[in-house]
Amino acid sequence: MQPQVPTGVGLGLRGAFLRDIVRGDADDKIAFLEVAPENYMHRGGRSPKRLATLAERFPIITHGLMMSIGGTDPFDEAYMAELKVFLDRYDPAWHSDHICWSGMDGAVLHDLLPIPFTTQTAKRVAARIREAADRLERPMAIENISWYLQLGKSTLDEAGFITEVLERADCGLLLDVNNVFVNASNHGFDARAWIDAVPLDRVVQLHIAGHEPWDDTLLVDTHGADVRDEVRDLLSYVIERTGAKPVLLERDSNIPPLSELLAEAASLQAVYDAALAKHQEASA
Amino acid sequence: MSTQDARLQMMNALLRKRGADEASRADLRAFAAEHGVQGDDLDAIEAVGAERFLVYRSLVQNRMRNTIADFIERTAARLGMKRLRADFADWMDQCAARSPYLRDVPAEFVAWVTPRWREDDAVPDYLVDLARHELLEYDIRNDHRGGESPTGRDLALDKPLRFDGAARLMTYDYAVHKLSSDAQSTELPEHTPSRLLVYRDPDAKVRYLELTTLAHAVLVQLIEHRRPVADGLRAACESCGEPLDDDRLAIAATLLSDLAERGVLLGAEA
Repeated sequence: MQPQVPTGVGLGLRGAFLRDIVRGDADDKIAFLEVAPENYMHRGGRSPKRLATLAERFPIITHGLMMSIGGTDPFDEAYMAELKVFLDRYDPAWHSDHICWSGMDGAVLHDLLPIPFTTQTAKRVAARIREAADRLERPMAIENISWYLQLGKSTLDEAGFITEVLERADCGLLLDVNNVFVNASNHGFDARAWIDAVPLDRVVQLHIAGHEPWDDTLLVDTHGADVRDEVRDLLSYVIERTGAKPVLLERDSNIPPLSELLAEAASLQAVYDAALAKHQEASA
Repeated sequence: MSTQDARLQMMNALLRKRGADEASRADLRAFAAEHGVQGDDLDAIEAVGAERFLVYRSLVQNRMRNTIADFIERTAARLGMKRLRADFADWMDQCAARSPYLRDVPAEFVAWVTPRWREDDAVPDYLVDLARHELLEYDIRNDHRGGESPTGRDLALDKPLRFDGAARLMTYDYAVHKLSSDAQSTELPEHTPSRLLVYRDPDAKVRYLELTTLAHAVLVQLIEHRRPVADGLRAACESCGEPLDDDRLAIAATLLSDLAERGVLLGAEA
C-alpha cells in the first residue's frame, strides 16, 4: 500500500519542543511532522522512543541533511544502511535531501555547500540521486538550497540546472520558497520567474522559513526568524499552481515557544488555504 | 583530477585549512589555481571575491566549534576560548569531522586533541578527564545500545553475564565527576583515581555509580572481558592482590544484586 501523503502546513520536529509535542500541544494543529533522520538514526534513549510515539499521532515526512548528493566521495555505506533502516521503519512516501555537497575526502563539513551549475554536474548529481533511490528502495526528492556564491563558471542558471537534474534523475522537487527568495535577493533575479522555470509538476513538498541578514549585501537562510510576507506571497504563488502539497515550517535557531510556532503555522495555513481555493477555482 | 573536483577541492581547502582565510584574501585567484582550478572557472571565482567564500568558512567553522563548546562547556571555559579556537583550527586543518552526525563532532575533536593536551604543560592535567566526563553524559544518553530485555536466566558461576548495552566503565585520574556543574566554577578536582559505572536507567536518565577498586576490577572482567562469573571474580581479586574469600564473594554478590535492581545486569548468558 502506498504511504499516505499529508497536505497543509506541518512543522519540523526539533529537540527544543519535542517534549511539548509528545505532551499533545500540537495535536490537531498541524498536518504532519517532518523529521531529520540524522537526529534519530544510530541513537538510543529517549528521543527515538518519543518519535515512535509521535508517529502514531502524526504523519511523518523525512528530510535528510547529510547525504552530500552533490559530493564526489562515494556514499557513506554505514550512513546509507542506517538511513534505510530508519526509512523502512517510518515508511514515508519519499525521502528528500539537499542539492549540495557536505564534505570531501572523508571529511564532513556539516553544511549545505554550493555545486557548479553545469550539465556535467547535473549528470553526476542525477546519477547519485538514482543510486540513492535504488539503495533506499524509495523515491527521492531534492531540495533547492540557499547558495551564496557560484562555484566556478556556470553553463546553466540555477532553475535550468535543477530542471536538468530532476529530469535526468526522474525525482521529486522539494521546493524551498524561502531559499528561492533568499537567492533571488542575493543574486538579483526574479523569484516568480524562477518558479515558473522549474517543473512544478515535480514538486512533492514545500519548505518555508525565515532568514536573516549576514550584512548589507547578503541574506542567509538561518531558519532563525519568522517567515516574511514576501515569502508568504511566494508560497501562495506556488500553491496556486501546484494545488495541495505538504508545506513545512522550519525553525532551527532563535526558536520561540511552541505556542508561537503553532500560531505562525496557523497563519501560514490560512495563506495556504486561500491559495488552494484559488487553485481549485482555476481548475474547476 | 577533473576541473569539477578542483572547484570542490579548492572550496574544501578554503573552508578547512589554517591560513586559507589570509591566503584567499591576499590572492583568491592564486589560491584557486594552487588547488587545480583552471580557465574560466578561475575568472568566475575571482569575480565572486574571497569575502563571500569566507562567509561559508565562518558558517562551517562556527557551527562545529559552537557544538564542541556546548558539549564540553566546562572544559572549554577552563581551557579558554582562544586556546579552543586554536586547537579547533588545527583539527579542522589536519582531520575534521568524519561522522555524518553533528552530535559526534565533540567526541571526534576530543579524541584528536587528547594527546596534544596531555603533552602540553599549559593545559591542566585534569582537563582531558573533564572533557571525557562531559562527553559521557551525551554518549550514554544517546547510545544506540541499551534497553535490552533481561535474559530470564539466573546468575551462574560458570556463565558470563549480560549487562545493559549502554553501561560503561570509566576511570579518571582526577575526581572530575565531583566538580560543580557551573561552567564558571574554577574549583579544582581532587587528584585521586576515580572509577565509575555509568548507565542509562529505565527512564533514560544517565546515572553514575562510584566503584571501589575491587568492584571496578570485577566489572572489568564481567563487562569488558565477558568472562564467566567465577573466572572473572578470580581474575579481579588477583589483579587487586586480594584473596578470593567469603568477604570478597559477599561484596561481589551485593554488587551484582544492586546492579540487577538498577536494571544494569540483565541475567546470565546462555
